[in-house]
Amino acid sequence: MAEYDISQKLIPYMDRHLAFPVLAHLSELSLFPEEDVRFAQYELARGTNMVDFTLDLFQQLYPDQDPPPELAQKRDDAVQTNQRLQTEAQVVLDVIEREEVAQALRQDKMQNLNYLKEHYNLTLEHISALYTFGQFQYTYGNYSGAADYLYHFRILSTDADLNLSAHWGKLACDILSGNWDTALEELNSLREAIDSRTNSTTSNPIPTPSSESALAQLQSRTWLLHWSLFVYFNHAQGRTLLLETFLSPAYLNTIQTSCPWILRYLAAAAIVTRKAASAASGRAKHALKEIVRIIQMEEYQYKDPVTQFLRELYVEFDFEAAQKSLAIAERVTENDFFLVDLKQDFLDNARYLISEAYCRIHQKIDIDDLSARLNLSQEEGEKWIVNLIRDMRMGADAKIDLEKNVIHINRPPAPLYQTVIEKTRGLAFRTQALGAAMSRRAAGETIETGEEGKAKGKGRRTGGPPQTSSGPANAPPTAAVVTAEA
Amino acid sequence: MSRFFKTAADTDSSSEESDEELLSSGDDTPAKPAAVQQKTPMSQFLKTAGDSSSSSSSSDSDSDDSDSDDSDDKPAAVQKPRPSTFLVGGGGGRDDDDSSEDERKVVKSAKDKRIEEMQAIGKSIDNALRIGDWVATSNDFDKLARLVERQTNVSEPVPPYWLRALVTVENALTATKEKDPKKKVNASNSRAQNGMKQKVKKATKEHEALLKTYNEDPEKFERDYIQALAPPPVAPREVRPAQPAGAAAAGQAGETDEFTTVGRGGKGVQHTVETLFKDLAQVNENRGKKNTDRVEQVRTLEKLLTVAVTTYQRIRVLLALISARFDYNPAASHMPNDAWLAAQKELDQLVKILIHEPTYSVEEEVNFEYDELLERSPTTEEGGIVRIRGSVISFVDRLDDEFTRSLQNIDPHGTEYIERLRDEKVLYKTICLSQSYFERASRDEALARVLMRRLEHIYYKPDAVVEALEQIPDIDETTRPSLSLQTCEKAQSLVHSICISLYKTSNSLLRTRAMLCHIYSHALHNDFYTARDMMLMSHLQENVHSADVGTQILFNRTVVQLGLCAFRCGLIKESQSTLQDIFATQRVKELLAQGLHQQRYSTLTPEQEKAERIRQMPFHMHINTELAEAVFLVASMLVEIPLLASLDTEEARRKAVSKSFRRLLDHANRQVFNGPPENTRDHIMQASKALQDGEWQRARDLIQSIAIWNLMPESKQVKEMLAKRIQEEGLRTYLFTNAPYYTTLSLELLSRIFSLSLRSVTSIVSKMIWNEELAASLDQAGGVVVFHRVEPNKLQQLALSLSEKVAQLVEQNEKALDVKLGGGSGWTDRGDGKGGDKRGGEATGGGGERRGARTGTRGGVRGRGRGARFAQGLGGQIGGAQAVRT
Repeated sequence: MAEYDISQKLIPYMDRHLAFPVLAHLSELSLFPEEDVRFAQYELARGTNMVDFTLDLFQQLYPDQDPPPELAQKRDDAVQTNQRLQTEAQVVLDVIEREEVAQALRQDKMQNLNYLKEHYNLTLEHISALYTFGQFQYTYGNYSGAADYLYHFRILSTDADLNLSAHWGKLACDILSGNWDTALEELNSLREAIDSRTNSTTSNPIPTPSSESALAQLQSRTWLLHWSLFVYFNHAQGRTLLLETFLSPAYLNTIQTSCPWILRYLAAAAIVTRKAASAASGRAKHALKEIVRIIQMEEYQYKDPVTQFLRELYVEFDFEAAQKSLAIAERVTENDFFLVDLKQDFLDNARYLISEAYCRIHQKIDIDDLSARLNLSQEEGEKWIVNLIRDMRMGADAKIDLEKNVIHINRPPAPLYQTVIEKTRGLAFRTQALGAAMSRRAAGETIETGEEGKAKGKGRRTGGPPQTSSGPANAPPTAAVVTAEA
Repeated sequence: MSRFFKTAADTDSSSEESDEELLSSGDDTPAKPAAVQQKTPMSQFLKTAGDSSSSSSSSDSDSDDSDSDDSDDKPAAVQKPRPSTFLVGGGGGRDDDDSSEDERKVVKSAKDKRIEEMQAIGKSIDNALRIGDWVATSNDFDKLARLVERQTNVSEPVPPYWLRALVTVENALTATKEKDPKKKVNASNSRAQNGMKQKVKKATKEHEALLKTYNEDPEKFERDYIQALAPPPVAPREVRPAQPAGAAAAGQAGETDEFTTVGRGGKGVQHTVETLFKDLAQVNENRGKKNTDRVEQVRTLEKLLTVAVTTYQRIRVLLALISARFDYNPAASHMPNDAWLAAQKELDQLVKILIHEPTYSVEEEVNFEYDELLERSPTTEEGGIVRIRGSVISFVDRLDDEFTRSLQNIDPHGTEYIERLRDEKVLYKTICLSQSYFERASRDEALARVLMRRLEHIYYKPDAVVEALEQIPDIDETTRPSLSLQTCEKAQSLVHSICISLYKTSNSLLRTRAMLCHIYSHALHNDFYTARDMMLMSHLQENVHSADVGTQILFNRTVVQLGLCAFRCGLIKESQSTLQDIFATQRVKELLAQGLHQQRYSTLTPEQEKAERIRQMPFHMHINTELAEAVFLVASMLVEIPLLASLDTEEARRKAVSKSFRRLLDHANRQVFNGPPENTRDHIMQASKALQDGEWQRARDLIQSIAIWNLMPESKQVKEMLAKRIQEEGLRTYLFTNAPYYTTLSLELLSRIFSLSLRSVTSIVSKMIWNEELAASLDQAGGVVVFHRVEPNKLQQLALSLSEKVAQLVEQNEKALDVKLGGGSGWTDRGDGKGGDKRGGEATGGGGERRGARTGTRGGVRGRGRGARFAQGLGGQIGGAQAVRT
């Protein structure tokens, strides 16, 4: 099964600290030699300030050796730095926590800064201390503390780059401390920040520097995709949200260009949310169709049992092959860090998909045969089918004939007027859009400004930092990580 | 007199006199007498000129100029003994160099010639004045004025002859006025006279000061002038060691006899280190003039090269020599091969010198002035680097272009073409050499250009050929470029690494072309997906129509190669849609620059046709259009035949089908009698019909018997793939055609008819049901397909078509608005980001270029696919996208 493990592909796009849980998961499985995994963990920990953890790992690795002396040294350093940074940060914290200050602070950051400077003699350097301390806390594993400091820093600071870095840091903290709700919020605002950077560059009339920023953005998005897996697979509504995000054109492109292995999670999420999909709106509704298309397109560079399953089912309509792929996919999900909890869900829904497709194509189905296809006994199979018929709301069309042991599916052809309705559905809206565009043109307003206005409006509404177009757009997320480790 | 005429006739044939003819082209009638008149002083002058300016001419002597007197040699030799001995003596030295020539040459400098001319004209003015012929006077005067102007341009002092002529004319004018103002002169004469007055007035004004000094003492002025012209006398120069001493002695002896004051060497055919720069300057001065003998120039330079001692000299001579080589007769279609080879060798030599001597640098832009006539070396220069004006890259470009041009003009089916093609190897070596030079000199701009040249020599070649090309003889470690087959191992990775380095250049044209070559190479190696992704991510299909024609041709080539690649990989649909745009135009040959378009309504001007001819690809780079057409038609057949069968109404059929294939099919259907298939098209058309009738075996046999598949590298696999496709598409066609006539159909029967496994039949039928192409379902128990098809009634049909039309209307409106809004970034959701500008460009580009119009439509068609998606993700940057991909 090791050949289907994609941890090695995922980890390079994660923060050092985020990789620990993944490695821990791997060490529980027996996919890889235990030694190797443990060594990887040790190597990983050495780069952090989590000295005790590193020592533990060292003991496990080399039980009969003395720990290297630099670790002790490092611990001393860490303690000292911690104290120093704390005192620096405390100054700011003291001020902020006063009640009158909290009341005096407004939305406008510049004004806040001026206010703090006038009344409490706090400058930007002081505020940056918050960032440094937060970051340091993160390096030794005090995630919730780090989250607090970074949060405060972000509220006060005006430095766009550091803010973004703090954003990443905060997201990592939330993920690691398991605050999925806040992590989700953080994720969304971060995503907005990243996306808004494009707007600023694409509306930029000079195309030359945008290649670099486009690259930086692609990188940020790749990171975001990987980090968001933590959130989406742990949050209650995560899977639907995952579909929404990943299927948006920008992120779909990112997946296709830089990290096709994410398709596995996309496919899995689409399968798992099958039931919810009918109720959900927008992209998630046609998710499966879209995903199958992409799987087909990217087949040459990435395939695994999960994607193969969808392909066999919806491209080849080879139910036997789909069945085989599903069996392997089951074991893959067992071993996958993110999918392990969803294994049963995944399996059930995958079966549903098989039988749904099967029923749509067939008129008369042998119950025995279908049960066999679903890896179920006849009894179970019958029950399953009854449920299926109920679920698929095709009660009128499908009947079980127990005497012959077959299901009859009677599917009247779609009435023609339905097609006509489908065809004419969007027309009114499109015409309206045409009209709007023309009137806008007539008003002499260029389209760019209109869009910018929209973007800004959005920024203000959510209360996030308004990303104006002037900010330097090439701060890759690596900056966040590098600084977080430093 | 007859002798004069003879000489005149003689001189006409010589290049020197024709120059004069050119100068005096304004005068028609008096030209003859003038020439005759000139001759008299001319031959006399030979002596005086030799006397007066011999000291200067000795240093400036140039074999080229010696032509001028060829014509005079013969009559002079007969008539005058003195010059003849002189000539023999002079010629004696010369004969050793080129014994084939029996004409002897007297060498004079350009300066001397001018003086001679001026004197001659002055005389003729005098003559004309005497007989009162103002027309002739006016013409001569003009001639003289022009000469003087030229003289002042080369910053020599105003000659006294000019002033003298001015004075005489002026005097004559006043004289006529005074003498008899009423005397009748004929109309043209008086007009000329009046014109003269004006001219003289103007000229006197210009040279007022000089005239004054001249009027004071004409003789002194003249003497001063001659002195000023003559550079310090040079000691009699050493005869080249190569020359036999005896001959040299004879030459010197003969000379001293006649001209004691002059130290004249071997008549200017001698080149020594000291005079090298002057000779060079001389050659440069004469370059590009109408009557310069190019062969002679090259010969001179070759000799100079053997003389050149220092690196600086060698570089200078090589620079001049290589550019002289490229000056071939413009009437010829291409450069002569031997000249090309020589130029190539010399360029090699130059580049090697430059590589080994990093203190010398040849640059296009040298900001400071330096004296062309002085020797320079690193020690005397600022910063220790000798900068020389010149351009290596333009030589490489030119060499490559000339190579292509010669290939364009040689019959590709003859052996000469192959012979010529062998020279590509040395050319490639030169390119590699200069690449390594530019790498060492870190000249990025030039490096990119030379890399592009290199890439263009290898991107379309199969691996084996590239390997052969890469085995460059006598290129050692010091001269090896950083990229080679040794470092990259595979030809494809060589292309890859060249492209990567080209993506880093700032020149967007080079980037685009590199991208296309890269895609082409991927397609050639059957790496369809990579090629496709790169093509889409580059967004070239959206803006290629605004590129130059060469790039568009490359783009078209790439598209065709991509289509072929898809076909080889068995991706029929992709192949069809890729090739569609090219083949729909019916001008494949023209689009690929593989042949001129035969236009029914010939609207091309000769210039356009010439430009078109220059763009043609050399034969060895051609993509076989017949193969491409076969691929396109077969792919079309596999896509269109089932589609045709699935459409019920005639109207729908007319719309949905690709036109080019449909036209052929209709044509084939109209034939009363179908003979056995002869060409590729016949085969495919008959196969299509067989496929429509469900006779897949016949279709398969027909397709497989097409001979042209043998040109594909993997013809066997391709044929197998085609057989399988035909089976599948045959099944689909069969189902579509016959569905209305069955209620059930046994799957087993189907699998028997089409020799497909039951499983794949089920899979195909399932797919059709799922995609709602076929109104049917499977009966698993009975193993049959059950059809439940309902014919829509008339009203329903109408409602359907109405709704379709309304949808089209909206779409049209949207498109129209798109065009109107043009530059704005798309007003609908689908075009956020960069799409807008590009669409705007499309709209404007569509009207202009013919190619543009076509690619414009393509951009529209394909832009909807994945390309549009990438547009949003990556902002359409080739560089950015590329870095990610690789």
